[in-house]
Amino acid sequence: MSAVDTAIPTPKKSPLDVVIAPRTENEELISGSEAIAHAVRLANVDVITAYPIRPYDTVMQYVSKMIADGDFDCEFIVAESEHSQFEIVKHASAVGARVFAGSSGVGWFYAFEALAVTAGLRLPMVAMVGNRALDDPGAFGVEHNDALAVRDLGWMLCWVSTAQEALDTALIAYRVAEDPRIFLPCAISCDGAFLTHSQSIVKVPSQAMVDSFLPRYDRGDKRLHPDNPITIAPQVNEDWLMEMRRQSDEAARRASDVLIEAYRDFNAKFGRGGEPFIERYMMDDAEVALVGMGTMAMPVKVAVRKMREQGKKVGFVRVRWFRPFPTRELQDALADVHAVGVIDRDFSFGSAFFSGVLANELRSALYPAKKKNQPKILSFIAGLGGREVSTGNVMKMTKTVFDAANGVGTDAQDTYWIGARE
Amino acid sequence: MNAPSPTLLAAKDFKSDTKPVWCPGCGDYGVLTLLTRALADLALRPENVAVVSGIGCSSRMPAYMNCYGFHGVHGRALAVATGLKVARPDLTVIATGGDGDGYSIGGNHFIHACRRNVDLTYIVMDNHVYGMTKGQSSPTTEPDWDNALMPGGTGVRPFQPLVIALASGANFVARAFSGDITGTAEIVAQAIKAPGFAFVEIMSPCVTFRPEQREWKELARPSPVPPTDDPARAARRLMTDDGFNIGVLYTGNRKPYQPATGQERKPLNALAQGFAL
Repeated sequence: MSAVDTAIPTPKKSPLDVVIAPRTENEELISGSEAIAHAVRLANVDVITAYPIRPYDTVMQYVSKMIADGDFDCEFIVAESEHSQFEIVKHASAVGARVFAGSSGVGWFYAFEALAVTAGLRLPMVAMVGNRALDDPGAFGVEHNDALAVRDLGWMLCWVSTAQEALDTALIAYRVAEDPRIFLPCAISCDGAFLTHSQSIVKVPSQAMVDSFLPRYDRGDKRLHPDNPITIAPQVNEDWLMEMRRQSDEAARRASDVLIEAYRDFNAKFGRGGEPFIERYMMDDAEVALVGMGTMAMPVKVAVRKMREQGKKVGFVRVRWFRPFPTRELQDALADVHAVGVIDRDFSFGSAFFSGVLANELRSALYPAKKKNQPKILSFIAGLGGREVSTGNVMKMTKTVFDAANGVGTDAQDTYWIGARE
Repeated sequence: MNAPSPTLLAAKDFKSDTKPVWCPGCGDYGVLTLLTRALADLALRPENVAVVSGIGCSSRMPAYMNCYGFHGVHGRALAVATGLKVARPDLTVIATGGDGDGYSIGGNHFIHACRRNVDLTYIVMDNHVYGMTKGQSSPTTEPDWDNALMPGGTGVRPFQPLVIALASGANFVARAFSGDITGTAEIVAQAIKAPGFAFVEIMSPCVTFRPEQREWKELARPSPVPPTDDPARAARRLMTDDGFNIGVLYTGNRKPYQPATGQERKPLNALAQGFAL
C-alpha cells in the first residue's frame, strides 16, 4: 500500500505489543452497486436524486441505507420520474453542489432531455447507468445501448468490469468531470446483474485517502453571487450556439490529458487503477486480438488463457473509456495484430456493415493507420438482453478472427451474431 | 359500449393461460378476478376490449387477460389508451396500473386525461408502495411510513387521487377494495358503462412490503351516502374522508371528447394549392 493516511495516527504498539500497520482501506464483500454507493459517500456528494428502476435501484437502496445508518449526510430526493430526477441534480450542480444520479435502460432514456442539456450546460454531473435492455419488449438484462445513446453529446462515458473498478472509477470521474478545464458530465456504466448484483471483495478506502485525491467542486466565476449576476442557459440561437458547441468539443479534447493526470495520481495514492483508457491482456506477442467492454472481460480472459495454453497467440483489449475514445491507445495496442474481433454487447441497426457501435468506432479510429499495419476488423454481436457470453462463444469468435488473419473464409467487414438462435 | 353478444361469456373466458407472478396474498389477484367478471357481466367480448398498462406489478394485468393487451412504457398507460380510443372508438378501452405508474411518473397524464374526458376507464391498484422494485415509497405512501429504504418516512404529503380526479374533471370517480370482489366488479362495470373518463381507485394491498395493509379488509366499508352529480358536494365529502369509504363518489355529465376520426376533411392537395407559388 503506497498510500499514507495522515488523518489516522499509526499506533506504534498495540496493548499486546504487536505492531499494527495503518489500515487505510477496508476489504468488504460487496456488489458493484454497493461499490458505487461507497464512492458516492466517499466523494461526499451534496445532492442525490433517485427513481426506482432495476438494476440501478440497488444503488439507490444502498445510498439510502447509508444515510439511515448515519454514515452519510446529503440531500436525498426520490423524484416522481427520471426526468425530474436528472433535472433536480442538474440544477443543483449548476449552483455548485456535487451531485449523483443513476438509472437504467428506458429510465435513462426518459431523462434524455435533461441528459442532453446537462452536457450542453457543461455541468459535471456524475451518473451511474446500470446497463439494461431498452424495452419494449420488456427485458431486464444487460445491453449497452442505453448508455451509448449519450456518446455524441459531451458526456464522458466509461465501462467498468469489477466492483473495485466501479468504486475507483467513480472517484476518478468526479475529479475529471469537476476539473475546471473539463466541466463535462460523466456516466459510469455497470453491466446490469453481472456487475450491479454480483459481489466480490472490494477495497473501500478511508475518507482521508479520498480527500487527498478529490478536491472540492468549485464552480468558479459561474457561482451564483450578488456581485456576479448570471443567467443559466439563456436563449442563444445561431448567434452563439456554434461557439458553445466548439467549447464543448475543446473540453472533450482536453479530457484525455486530464484523465491521464487523474489516473497517474490515483495509481500513486491508491496503488491501483492501471492504464487509463484500455486494459491490455496477453497482448505482448498477440497475432490476433479481441476487443470488448464491461463484464464480458471475465469469460474472454478465461478463454484467452485457455487458448494461450494451446499455443494460440491471442490477446484481449478491454476498452475502459468510450468517451473520450482512446484512439491513440487502440492504434498502439493493435498495431501489430493481423486481425481484430470486436465483441459488442449492443447493436446499431443499419449502420456501416451492420456492425456494433464499438466495432464501427474502432474501424474509424484505425482507418488512418499505415496500410501495412491495418488489421482486419470483424464485428461480433453477443450477449444481448443479458444472455451469457460463454468461453465457448469466445473461442468460436477467436477461430473466426484467426481465419480472417489467415485470409480464410471471411471478409474484414463481416458482422457475426453469436449465440442467437436461428 | 358494445352491443350484447348472443353467446355470453364467463369471467374465465377473459383470463389468459399465463399464470400471474404476483406474490401470494397480493390484492391484484382479486382485481383480475373482478375485472374479468365485470367484462363478462357486461356481455362484452374479448375482441371488443383492450386493456392497456404501463410498468409495475399491477401493470402486468394485460398479460393475464384474454383480450387485446398493450403493455406500454412506465407511466404512459393513459397516453397509450387515449391514442387507442380515438383511433378505435368502437373498442372498450381500460387502462390499468398502480400508484407509482399512475400518480408519479404518469401523474401529468392522469390530470390531463381527466380534463380531456376521453371515454376510457382507468383502474388504479393503489398499495402505497413501489412493489416491483422492492418497496420504495410511492406518491400515496403515508408520510410517516418508516421502512429500511426511507427511515422515518418521506415527510411528504401524499397524493390525493380522488381529489385530483374530481378537480381535473373526471366524469366518474369511485373508490373500491380488491377484497370485495362482487362490490368492486359492480363499480368497475358502472365505470365502463359511464361515458367519458371514469376513474376507479382500488385499494389493493401489497402484503409483501406493506403487511399492515392486511387490515384494510377490516377498515374498508361501504360509503353511507349514494353517489352525487354535484362536484361541490363530492368535494366536501372528500374533505372529511378517511380513505376507507367504498363506492361511487361522483358521476358527472360532461360531454366526452369526440374523436374526429371518420369526419369528412378538406383534401390536402386543395389546401396545398392555396400556398402554391
